[in-house]
Amino acid sequence: MLKVNDLHKTYQVGKTTYEVLKGVSLEIEKGQFVAVMGPSGSGKTTLLNCISCYIPTDAGSICLGGRELAALNEEELAAVRNRELGFVFQDFLLLDGLTVRDNILLPAIIGGSVSRETEQRAEQLCQVFGIEHIREKFPAEISGGEKQRTAVARALINQPLLILADEPTGNLDSKSSRAVIDSFCQAREQMEATIFMVTHDSFAASFCDRVIILRDGQVWRTLERGDRERLAFQDLLLDSVREMGRE
Amino acid sequence: MKSFKEVYSLLRRKGRKQYGLLWGCCFFSVLLITAYVCMMRSPTILDVLPEGGDSRKQVMMIFVLAVVGCAVFTLYAAGLFFRYKSREMGIFLALGAKRSQLKNRLMGELVAVSLSACATGALLGAPLALGLWQIFRLCVVDTAEMPLRFDPAAYGFALAFSVFVIAALLLMGRRFVGKTNILDIVQASRKSEPIHAVPRWYGWGGILLVVLGAVLGYSVPSFCILTLHWYPPEGLTAIFYLPVLVGLYMLLLHTVVNGWGRKRHHYKNIIATSMMKFQGRQTVNNMLVMTLLIAGAYFASFYTPMLGVGAIMSYDARPVDYAYFYRNDQNAPGEEEIRQLAETYEVNITSYMEAPMIRLAVDGIEHMETEGKLGTTWQAVYREQLQSDLFLSESGYRTLTGEEIDLEPGQIAAIMDAEGGGQGVFGGDAGLVTNTFTGEKRRVNSDTKLGHDVLFGRYVCDDEDFASLSAGLPDAWRETMVFFNVEDCAGSYDFAKALFNRIVDGSGPEVAVLDAWDPVTREREIAEKGSYWYDGQTLRYDQRNSSEFRLYWQYMPQFRVLDKADFVKTTAVFIMLFVFIAIVCFAAVFVIAYTRCMTIALNNRQVYDDLDKLGASQAYLYASVKNQICRVFTVPAITGTGVIYAFYAMIMYANDGRLSLSELAGMGACLLLILAISLLMYAVYRLTLKQVCRALNI
Repeated sequence: MLKVNDLHKTYQVGKTTYEVLKGVSLEIEKGQFVAVMGPSGSGKTTLLNCISCYIPTDAGSICLGGRELAALNEEELAAVRNRELGFVFQDFLLLDGLTVRDNILLPAIIGGSVSRETEQRAEQLCQVFGIEHIREKFPAEISGGEKQRTAVARALINQPLLILADEPTGNLDSKSSRAVIDSFCQAREQMEATIFMVTHDSFAASFCDRVIILRDGQVWRTLERGDRERLAFQDLLLDSVREMGRE
Repeated sequence: MKSFKEVYSLLRRKGRKQYGLLWGCCFFSVLLITAYVCMMRSPTILDVLPEGGDSRKQVMMIFVLAVVGCAVFTLYAAGLFFRYKSREMGIFLALGAKRSQLKNRLMGELVAVSLSACATGALLGAPLALGLWQIFRLCVVDTAEMPLRFDPAAYGFALAFSVFVIAALLLMGRRFVGKTNILDIVQASRKSEPIHAVPRWYGWGGILLVVLGAVLGYSVPSFCILTLHWYPPEGLTAIFYLPVLVGLYMLLLHTVVNGWGRKRHHYKNIIATSMMKFQGRQTVNNMLVMTLLIAGAYFASFYTPMLGVGAIMSYDARPVDYAYFYRNDQNAPGEEEIRQLAETYEVNITSYMEAPMIRLAVDGIEHMETEGKLGTTWQAVYREQLQSDLFLSESGYRTLTGEEIDLEPGQIAAIMDAEGGGQGVFGGDAGLVTNTFTGEKRRVNSDTKLGHDVLFGRYVCDDEDFASLSAGLPDAWRETMVFFNVEDCAGSYDFAKALFNRIVDGSGPEVAVLDAWDPVTREREIAEKGSYWYDGQTLRYDQRNSSEFRLYWQYMPQFRVLDKADFVKTTAVFIMLFVFIAIVCFAAVFVIAYTRCMTIALNNRQVYDDLDKLGASQAYLYASVKNQICRVFTVPAITGTGVIYAFYAMIMYANDGRLSLSELAGMGACLLLILAISLLMYAVYRLTLKQVCRALNI
C-alpha cells in the first residue's frame, strides 16, 4: 500500500541546513493501523507532510498504491490528495461556513464526484461515527470530539487508499480522544481503511497494529502489537520511550 | 450541495463581512480620490489657484499624501482579506483541490469585487464633491464664481487609481494562490508580525530626525536660491523632507514597542503592550499613514483660521475706514462726488483726506536667470531702474496720517507694515530714484522706516524732492491716495459697495492689471524679451466680485466694512477647497483607525477568550482593549498634530523672522480648531471602542 524508502529531507534556515529525515524507510499494508511516535524534532510531522505531498522530498521514494509520488506533477498530486489520501488534522480544519454533512462531502465535491451513492456514504459515515444527530450543525456548534469525528468521516468519504492523521487527539480531552480512536478502529474494521497516524500519545498509539518510533530523523525502533493486550502494548511503548530518554 | 461552485458561493455568503470590508475599502479609497481629483482639477478651483503658486503645491502635496494613504489601506484591506481566505484555500488544497480551480474562482471574485467597488466609487466621487460643495454654498457662502465645474480629464486620475486598485488586488490574489507550500497557507492565519527589539534611542532619535527634516526641507530651497544662486528642481528639495518620514517611523516604532516613560508599572499594561508588539509592523505602518494624513488634514484646515483671523485683525487695525487710490488719468470719484454718494446712502463722512503720489523708478538687484544643465541658476545684476514704486510727499503723508515727519532733501522713508515688517515682498531699501520721463536721477538715503498698514510698500520723500521729481510726469504716472472715515462704518456697507462699483466702472482697461504689473519692468522686458508676461494676465471688470479680482487687482480699494463683510466670499473657493481636503483626509484617518482596531479585535479574539478562561475580569479585559484602541488613535493624533503645528509655526516665523500679532492670533484659532477636531476624533474613538468590545463580547 505505502512504501517509503530511504527518505531524506533537509530544511535551510538562513545559512544553516537541518537534516530532518535521514533515510527513513517503512512499509504499510492495506488495512493496517500504524502510528509514528517520537520526541519533538524527531521528524514525525515532516515525514507525514512528505507522504501527504505537501512538501517535496530531497531523496528517496514514496510509493503509494504502486505509484511513485515524486514522478507526479502538481495536478496529479492534487488528484492523489483528493482520491487516494484522506486527512485528519490536529486542529480539525473544518470549514466554519459548511454544515457537518457538507464538510464530510467536501473532498467528493472538490473532486466533482458527488453522486447519490456518495451522499448515502456520508449518511452511513455519520451513523458509524455517531454524528448523525449533528449533521446539519455547523462546526462552531459542536464539541471538539465531534469535530474530529467529522474530520475522520471526511477523510473516508472518497474511500482513499490511506488515511493520514496528524496528532488527531492533540486538542482533545480523554473522552473525546477515545471516541476519535474508536472511530479509527471502526474505520479499519468496517471499511478496511489503512491509517497512518502521527502522535505523542501512547494511549492513542496503543490501539495500533504497529508503532514506529523516530529519533533524530531515523527509525529508532518498530514495535509490533501482535497478540498483546492493549494495556500491555501501551506499557511496552512507555518502556521504549523511557529507554530512549535514558540514552 | 453537489458542486464546488455551490460550496464557494455558500462560503462567500457566510464570509460576506470580509467581502464587504474589502469592497468598502476599495470603494472608499476610489470615492475619496475621485472626489478629491474632481475638486482639484476643477476649472473653478484652478482659476483661483495661481499656477506654480504655493496653494497649488500644497493641494498637490496633500493629494499625493491622500493617494498614498488610500493605496496603503486598500492594500492592507486586501491583505486582511487574503489572510481570512488563507484557511479556506489551505483546506481546499489540502483536500486535493487544484490550484487552477481555486485561482479561477478567486480571480473571478476579485474582479467582481474590485470592479464593482471601483466603478461605484468613481461614479459617486463627482456627486460627492458636488454635494459637499453645494452644502457649503448653501450653508456658508455662495458667489457667482462658485458653481463647481468639472474637467473630464479628472476622471483620468480616478481611472488610473481604479486600475491600480484592481491590478494590485489581482496580483496579490495570483501570488496568494501561487504559494507553493500548502502548509504556509494553512498556517498563515496563525502568523504574527513581530517586531524585533527596538533600541530606546529610537524615540529621541526619531524626534531629532523629524525636526531636522522639517528644518532642512524648508530651508534647503532658500539656501540653494539665496546662497548657491540655483533654483533646485522641486523633486530634489523634497528629498530633504525624507528624514521626517524616517523619524516619524522610528518615533512610532519606539512608541508601540517600548512606550515612553519609566517602566515602574511594567505589568500593568503587559497584555496590551505585548499584543501591540506582535501586530507591530502593520500597526506602525498604519499609524504612519494616519499621522501623515492627520498632518495633511490639519495643514489644510489651518488655512482658514490663519487667513480669517489675520484678515479680520488687519481690517480692524486699519487706521482708516475707507482708502483707495487711482491713477490720475482715470475717471475716479473726487471728494464732491463721494460726499454726494454718501448723502444718498445717508452716510456721514467725518473726515476726508487725499494726497498726491508719483510713480518713480527705483534701483535694485535683479535675478538674471540662466537655464543650464543643473536647472535654472541666477546672478545678481544691479539695475538703476529695476521697478517702480509710489512716492508720497512728506506733507501728503502728514495729511493722510496726521503724523509729523521731517525729511531732508535726498532722504526717503520706506513705509513698512504697522509692525515694521516687509512681509517678504518689500525691502524699502531704494538708493536711486529716477523720473522715467525727464531722466532726472536722485541718489537717496532710505534708512528711515515708517509703519502704516494701508500705505505699506510706498515711500515718502521731502516736499522739495517731490516737486522736482514729479516735474514732467504724465497723469498715468501720477496717482492720488484718498482716505476718509465715516460715522457708522459698520452700517455703511451699501455705500461701500456703490463706491466700489463706481471706482471699478470709472477704471479703464489700461489699469485692469494684477498687483504685480509694473510699468518700468514691463518696458525693460519688452525691450529685452519682446513681451511682458503680466500683459496677458489682465482682469475682467465684469468679474469684480471674484476672488481673483478682489485679491489681485492692483487698484483694489480698502473699505473696512466691504472687506469684512465680503471676506468669506472673496476667499470662498480657497476656504472650501482646503476644508474639503481636510474632510477627505480626516475621513481616511477615521476609516483606517476603525479598520485597524477591528483587525486587532478579530486577530486577538482567541487571546481574549483565553484571558477570560484564565479568570480575567471584564474590567481587566476592557482596560486591555481600551489601551490598544486608545494608542491606535492617540499616538498618530498627537504626533501628527504636534509635528504639523510646530512646522506651521516655523513657517510663520521663518517668513519674516518674527511672529506677528495676527499670526499669533491665527495660531491660537488653529488651537481651537485642533480642540474641535480632537473632540470629533474622540467620538470616533468611543464608537470604535464600543464596536471592538461588542466583537469581543466584552
